[in-house]
Amino acid sequence: MGFSSFVVLGFMGGEIAVILVQKFSVPIDCVTFLVLLFNFAVVGVMSIFMSKMAILITQSYLVVIGMLVAYWFTLLPEWTTWALLVAMALYDLAAVLLPGGPLRLLVELAISRDEEIPALVYEARPITNNNVGPMQRVVERRSWKGRRSADPDTAESSNASSSLGVLLSSEDRQNETRVVIAQESQVSGDSELSAPLIPQEMVQSESWPMDGIGLGSSGAIKLGLGDFIFYSVLVGRAAMYDFMTVYACYLAIIAGLGITLMLLAFYQKALPALPVSILLGVVFYFLTRILLEIFVVQCSVNLFMF
Amino acid sequence: MERRESAGEEEEEGRRNEERVNNTRGIILRDQNNNREPIWPTIDGPLGLSEDESLSYARNFFKFGFFLLPWLWALNCFYFWPVLRHSPSFPRIRRYVFGSAIGFVGFTVLLSSWALTFSIGGEHLFGPVWGKLVMYNVADRFGLTGASI
Repeated sequence: MGFSSFVVLGFMGGEIAVILVQKFSVPIDCVTFLVLLFNFAVVGVMSIFMSKMAILITQSYLVVIGMLVAYWFTLLPEWTTWALLVAMALYDLAAVLLPGGPLRLLVELAISRDEEIPALVYEARPITNNNVGPMQRVVERRSWKGRRSADPDTAESSNASSSLGVLLSSEDRQNETRVVIAQESQVSGDSELSAPLIPQEMVQSESWPMDGIGLGSSGAIKLGLGDFIFYSVLVGRAAMYDFMTVYACYLAIIAGLGITLMLLAFYQKALPALPVSILLGVVFYFLTRILLEIFVVQCSVNLFMF
Repeated sequence: MERRESAGEEEEEGRRNEERVNNTRGIILRDQNNNREPIWPTIDGPLGLSEDESLSYARNFFKFGFFLLPWLWALNCFYFWPVLRHSPSFPRIRRYVFGSAIGFVGFTVLLSSWALTFSIGGEHLFGPVWGKLVMYNVADRFGLTGASI
């Protein structure tokens, strides 16, 4: 997987960079170009596979990989792309929700072995506002642990002890400081350890499939990179027609993602992220292309509405 | 309080925590910066690395940067930005982070001086070699943009 990321970043990214250099006639020489590309690719592979790089860098590199792969997917012919998107959406729906689906089996296997799924996953951490008073979120690192034990205290202590060993040692001291310190000082080691004191507010610590969406045990949302790529392919293919379809598809995908997140909060299990957004996006693309565009063009041409 | 090389990192942190707790008995609003910065050497704060791990990470980033990777040095400085800001608190990590910063600046100066000389000098400085080295001609010669999947 490291090699494939290196190929995507190095060769595909390099080819796009060369296309840009040729188009804009940037007077860069090949030595400098190679050094920069090498840097970019190697650091990208490192940041994705070392789980402890700065989260901003990891997120940026994942977005770049998604963009590069989506660019190359848009080189497919048009009907192939649409058929592929619809087929992927239906397959995702089946594979994650049906009891015999491969992705669901994979998730359950990972839960039973208590491992993280090795995949490219984008993690969006919750915004920690310094002024949020009573909302103390447990900010553990990306380890999702299923709530297997009935006793919440033992679950929390096992969570805390298995994730960050250093904080465990300062647990007792910080527990006593919590009482004297006002609630404003939250995302520090303090909130980590108020775990036994927080009610059900935290941790739908359920898992996430590769192609789906899930909540890490810190409330961070994890979205598989495949979802990013197919959303981008849809919008890219819509962009190859007209601006109007881009707007319509973009709004449809964002709405679909919002619906999926609400369903995630409601059902609290791993959900497929593709079907709702892709189906909404495809429906809106064809509606816009067939119906809306003619209407809007006629209105503009007759100076009725712009 | 001086930092002694004790048995474990946890003990040092525990001592510092206790010191802070002892200083702040009572209902006091602690400043965010006071609270957070001296404990967490990475820019991610409590979600980042502990101090032991950051030492090994900083050292590895610094060493791997010598393989023509100035961007890795720059990321080292970015990631351990609290170390640069509060450098007296992290005496062991700051050696590597400062080294990375100096390396990044030096490499950037060298590389940009070469790149600027190349692009501004152009044909009349280099002669016909310029046409052979510039990227878009190299791409044409090797057909780099023709291949697609």
